[in-house]
Amino acid sequence: MTTTEISAPIIAVDGVSKRFNAGTDKEVTALENIDLAIRPGEFISLLGPSGCGKSTLLRCLADLAEPTGGTVTLNGKTPRAARQDRDYGMVFQQAGLFDWRSVRRNVELPLQVAGVDRATRREKAEEMLELVRLSEFARHYPWQLSGGMQQRVAIARALSADPSILFMDEPLGALDEMNRERLQGELLRIWSDTQTTVVFVTHSISEAVFLSSRIVVMSARPGRIAASIDVDLPYPRTAKTRTLPEFFDKVTEVRQALYGAPSDQAV
Amino acid sequence: MTATTTEPRPAGKHASEQAAETSPNRPRRQRPAIGPKLVNSLGAAVVIALLGALWEGYKALGQAWDDKIPGLGWKFPVATDDMSMPHLSAIFHALTEPASRADSTTLFSYLITETSVTLREAAYGLVAGSLLGLVLATVFLYSGPLRKGLMPWLVASQTVPLVAIAPMIVIWGGKSGAPPWVAVTGIAAYLAFFPVTINTLRGLRSPSRVHLEFARSIATNRRQQLFLLRIPSALPFVFAGLRLAATASVVGAIVGELSAGTGRGIGRAILTFAYYYSNGPEKLYAAVLVAAVAGIVFVELLGLLERLALRHRHTA
Ligand SMILES: Nc1ncnc2c1ncn2[C@@H]1O[C@H](COP(=O)(O)OP(=O)(O)OP(=O)(O)O)[C@@H](O)[C@H]1O
Ligand SMILES: [Mg+2]
Repeated sequence: MTTTEISAPIIAVDGVSKRFNAGTDKEVTALENIDLAIRPGEFISLLGPSGCGKSTLLRCLADLAEPTGGTVTLNGKTPRAARQDRDYGMVFQQAGLFDWRSVRRNVELPLQVAGVDRATRREKAEEMLELVRLSEFARHYPWQLSGGMQQRVAIARALSADPSILFMDEPLGALDEMNRERLQGELLRIWSDTQTTVVFVTHSISEAVFLSSRIVVMSARPGRIAASIDVDLPYPRTAKTRTLPEFFDKVTEVRQALYGAPSDQAV
Repeated sequence: MTATTTEPRPAGKHASEQAAETSPNRPRRQRPAIGPKLVNSLGAAVVIALLGALWEGYKALGQAWDDKIPGLGWKFPVATDDMSMPHLSAIFHALTEPASRADSTTLFSYLITETSVTLREAAYGLVAGSLLGLVLATVFLYSGPLRKGLMPWLVASQTVPLVAIAPMIVIWGGKSGAPPWVAVTGIAAYLAFFPVTINTLRGLRSPSRVHLEFARSIATNRRQQLFLLRIPSALPFVFAGLRLAATASVVGAIVGELSAGTGRGIGRAILTFAYYYSNGPEKLYAAVLVAAVAGIVFVELLGLLERLALRHRHTA
């Protein structure tokens, strides 16, 4: 591979805008003129205040919403073609598992839809459950699992068809602090095991700093990219990483990009 | 079957009453819910005993006070003589007596035979009506114009009194040379399809946004979306509809028998005993009792099916 190929973006966003209810008095400009290039293997966090358009941007990438302007390219294809080829997996804030299917059969679902035969998909599902450390729960039903475990199943499900891209919209948002930090660690391990490109939506600064190789900071109304901050803390990151001065420096830098320079005023 | 009013309850998520509570984390299999089940059957037995006691108690008080509340002189709403309210023992005894002078089979086995005729008609009607309901709901899911165009007519079909519809169906059936039970089945189906249609449609549209978006994200086609997501989501609703349809189909079969002049069925038997009420009031009560119990068994069989189909769900 040549250098230019390595840095060729796996996800390219060119001048993307999204307006809801255009032409009515309820018109909202959720995204305006977004440019973003994501290279293979990056762990990108989209960070910004509530309502700045993070989910909307992610949904435009995943062909769950259509931009009103600009273009998105995934693996050199339109989002629709990429979706149809199952180039990406998606994890939502709610796990969204199918209640009537066992954990294993939930993980098999993308493969079943793709027409993979029973034996192969079963094997693959068990491999995925191993990845998220839930092998012994394969035969449980989703409602028998805790929220964090359900979210891990959702991650296994999203990865079961071997996508090159993983989209995650606040997947840990509903979890308590301890579970959240534990799953952040797991997520980094899974990311390095699977070599996927991750686009991760969050509004937690420390979560973004801990996980990401790059943080895209967004500002609200209309949603724009305010900054793109490389996080050069070395991987593998561990609980110790959270205690390093470099970690806190990064958190401060991101916070400034979000709110502007610190002052003595109350926030 | 006056006991079974079919107030269509809102198409709730789960038709079954008791959700066996299971601890959220552990069990690989749902724990066999012996405890709650036993409590439920005991409760049912107590309720039945209480109802019986109420009947006999009311009758005893009326006999002692000459059907008037002492001191106030108010009359009891229902007279308590043996003609109006036969003893429970008389009702049960009547079941063991010959059904009529002409033949020696007991009233009980006569009623069971007639009831099985009716339930067979009701069951065929339920199956036919439910199939129609499922197909209609699926068609309505995908075609807004058809739904909007047809729904008012379906609603209208259910508000026209059955006593007007039943003879028409019977006459059409007779003209086409079909045996009378076909018309009866048709009437049962006519009542059964509606709750199935409504509940199934609601169930097919019940998947949450996150489920639908996930399905889209893994590129399901229309057929996969229907079979892997919408139909499984709809099942609890379908069963709620089927329960309503089951009671409605029994009502339909009984009313149908009265119109069809089949000479068979529990509806026929009830009409005959009502006609000869003064000769043996306990026979009418016995017939109603058997019909009611049969109706309960019919609907509960469906409940069994429901529990089987929804056994892995939290709410089942
Ligand atoms: N379907 C929709 N119809 C109309 N407006 C919408 C729709 N979806 C989002 N919006 C608007 O677009 C803007 C961005 O919404 P979005 O959900 O992308 O925000 P977000 O950054 O994900 O916020 P949060 O952190 O709270 O999830 C909001 O102002 C919202 O009201
Ligand atoms: Mg959001």
